[in-house]
Amino acid sequence: MIGKRRETIGNTLMLLPLILLFIAFFIYPLLYVIYTSLFEWNGFTRPDFVGIGNYGNLFRNVVFQTSARNNVVWVFSLGFLQVGLAALAAFILARKPKGWRFLRTVYFLPRVISAVAIALLWQTIYNAEYGALNAILSRIAGYPIRHNWLGSYGTALPAIVVQQVFYIGYFMIIVFASTTTIPRSYYEAAEMDGATTFQQERYITLPMARNTLVTSMTLAMAYGMRHFEPTFLMTGGGPGHSTSVLGLMMYKRIAQTKLGDAAAIGTLLVAIGFTLIMTIRRLLRGETYER
Amino acid sequence: MQKWRSIVLFTVLVLALVPHAFASGRADSEEVVIHWPCIWVGADAKAAVVADLVDAYNAENAGSIRVVIEEMPDYAVYDRKIVAEIASGSPPDFFTLKWNADTRAYYESDILMDFTDELAAGWVPAISRESIAQATIDGRVKVLPYETAITPIWYNTEIFDQAGIADFPATIDEMWGTFEKLKSIGVIPTSQMTGGNNAFTTQMWFSHLVNSIGGPDIWSKPFTDPAFVEAASILKQFFENGNTTADAIGATAGVSSGHYMAGRTAIFSNGPWFIGNIRSNAPDIYSVTAISPAPAAGPYTGSQVGFTLTAFAAANTNDAARRAAILDFIGYLALPENAKAISLESGSLLTPEFTLDAGENMDPLQAEFIKLRDSATFLGRRFDTTVPVSVLDEFGPGIDELVAGRISPEEFVARLEAVR
Repeated sequence: MIGKRRETIGNTLMLLPLILLFIAFFIYPLLYVIYTSLFEWNGFTRPDFVGIGNYGNLFRNVVFQTSARNNVVWVFSLGFLQVGLAALAAFILARKPKGWRFLRTVYFLPRVISAVAIALLWQTIYNAEYGALNAILSRIAGYPIRHNWLGSYGTALPAIVVQQVFYIGYFMIIVFASTTTIPRSYYEAAEMDGATTFQQERYITLPMARNTLVTSMTLAMAYGMRHFEPTFLMTGGGPGHSTSVLGLMMYKRIAQTKLGDAAAIGTLLVAIGFTLIMTIRRLLRGETYER
Repeated sequence: MQKWRSIVLFTVLVLALVPHAFASGRADSEEVVIHWPCIWVGADAKAAVVADLVDAYNAENAGSIRVVIEEMPDYAVYDRKIVAEIASGSPPDFFTLKWNADTRAYYESDILMDFTDELAAGWVPAISRESIAQATIDGRVKVLPYETAITPIWYNTEIFDQAGIADFPATIDEMWGTFEKLKSIGVIPTSQMTGGNNAFTTQMWFSHLVNSIGGPDIWSKPFTDPAFVEAASILKQFFENGNTTADAIGATAGVSSGHYMAGRTAIFSNGPWFIGNIRSNAPDIYSVTAISPAPAAGPYTGSQVGFTLTAFAAANTNDAARRAAILDFIGYLALPENAKAISLESGSLLTPEFTLDAGENMDPLQAEFIKLRDSATFLGRRFDTTVPVSVLDEFGPGIDELVAGRISPEEFVARLEAVR
C-alpha cells in the first residue's frame, strides 16, 4: 500500500515539471489568447471589451473565409496526398529494391534544408520571366510560355501545394520504419499462397502500418492547419488574398496591431484544427492488428 | 550519502540561479549593451559603413557601452517584427522605423523613448529642425527623422537612345507612346510589383499619379475621390499590353529592381538609397541611368514624392544609464561626419546637415536627386505614409484583383477607404 502510494507520488513528481511547463507555455497562453480575442486592442492603448464582436467581424470577412478554406485544402493535401505519396514510397523502399538506401537519403534530404531556401528555389522555378518550369514547357510547346504560376489565381495555390506535397521524406521515414518491422514470414506465407505484390501490400502492409499511417496523417494535418512559411515566402497570400491561410492572416493582423482580431483568429485556428483533426481521426479509426 | 550529495548539489544550483532570476538591473560598473535589429546589413548599401561606424563606436566606448547589431536583411520581415514587438510592449533597445499613420499612434503610449527634452536642450544639432518639426505631435518627439527621400522615375538612357526616344515623356499620353517604342525594340517598358509588404515600385507610381491628378492636398480626401479612381485606372494600364514584366503580379522589390538592373526593363521608380546598390551591383546600368519627375497625369506637374523614409526610435526605459547610452549612440550617428559617411557611401539623403570637404565628391546621381528635390513644384506624399499598415496591406492584393479584372478602379479605392 505504502509502496503504491510512493510510486504514485514519484510519478506525479516526475510529471510535475512537464505539467507545469505545459500549463505555462500552452494552457495559460491559450486562455490568454481567448481572453484577448474579446477585446479590441492595439497593444499600446487601453483595450476595449467587444465581446464576440471580433468573431462576428471575422466570419463576415472574405479574407477569413478564403484563408479558412485554404487551410482545409492544406489539411487534406498534406494529410492525404503527402502522406499517401510517402506511404507509397515507403512501401516500395521497404522491399529494398536496388539503390533503396540512396533513394531513402535523397527523399529525406530536403527535410534538412531550410524552408526559406526551398521556398526561394521554387519561387525561381515558377518565375514567369526566367523560371525553369516555363522554360521546359516552352521547349515542349515550341513557343514561349510566360505564365506567372504564383501570380495567377488559377495556379498560385496548386503551385505551392505541389511543391510542399512533393517533400515526402519525413513521413516516408516514419512509415518506412514501421513497415520494416512487419515480419517477413507474413509475406513469405502470402507468396506461397500466390498473393501478388499489390495484394501483399494491400492485405498485409497497409493494415499492419495502419496506426503509423493514421498518426502520420494526424501530424500532417496539424502541419496543414498551422501552415505558414511556404505561403508567406512564395506568395505572401497573393494574388489578392487567394492563397492566404489563417496563420498568415493572424500574422498580418499582429503587424497591423489588431491584436484582438489576431487572437480571435488564433482561437478559431485551434478550434477548427482540433475539430477537423479529431473528426478525421475518428473516421480513420478502425481495426488494428497485433503483431 | 548519495541522497545528501543530491541535496547539496540541488541547493548549490538553486542558489546559483536565484540572483539571476531576481536581477532587475545592471550593476553600475557593467557595460550597457544596446541591441539594434538593423536593416542596414547584408547587401544594403549602408551595411559596410554602418558596421564600421558601430565598430568604431564600440571601440571608443569599450567597457561602458556596446552596440550589438542584430542582422535583419529582409525589409518585410523587419517591418513586421518591429511592429509586433512594439505592439507586444517590448520594442528593441534601438531601431529604425518608417513614418506612417501607425507611427503616430505609438505617440499615444509611453512605449517609445521621448526625445523632447533632449532636443530642447540642443541634442543632435546637425539634424534639421524642419524635419524634427514633422515628427512632432502635441509638442512631443518620440521618433527622430534620419533619412529622407524622393522617389523620381529612373530610366535607362541607353535603351531610350536605341529606341529613338530623345527625352523622358512629360505626360502620361506621351508615356504610352514611349512604351510602344520601347516594346518595338523588344524591351519591357517598366518594372512593376505587387508583392512584398508594400508593392513598393507600383505604390510609388500610384503616389506620383495621385499627386499629379489631385495636387498636394489630395491625401486629406477619402480614397473614393475621383483623383484616386483615375490614378488606379491609369495604374492598371501599366500591367497591360506587355507594359511590365510577366512576373509583376506578386513580384517583390528584389525582382522588380532586378529587372531594371539586368536591363530587361527601361523604367522604374525608386529612391536615393538604391544608388549604392545599383552602383556596385549593376555598374553598366548605373552609368546610363538618369532620373526625371513622373509624367504628368493631371494638372499638377513637376512634383516629387517626398517623405521621411527612416526614423530612429528606442524603447522607453527607466534606467538612466541605458537611456543616456542610447541617446549618446543616436547622437553619434547624427554627427555630420558620420551622416556624411553613410550618405556618400549609400547615396541616401539624410536629415543631419553636412558639408563636403575639398576633394570629396557627391555621387552624380545623388546630386541629381538633390537637384530634383529642390526644383520640385511641391513634395507630394507617398501612399504608405498616409495610411495605417492595415490599408497598406490591401494595396498589393487590391492591385492584383484590379489587374485580373476582378474589381474596378472604383471598387479598388472603395476597398482601401473601407479598411481605413
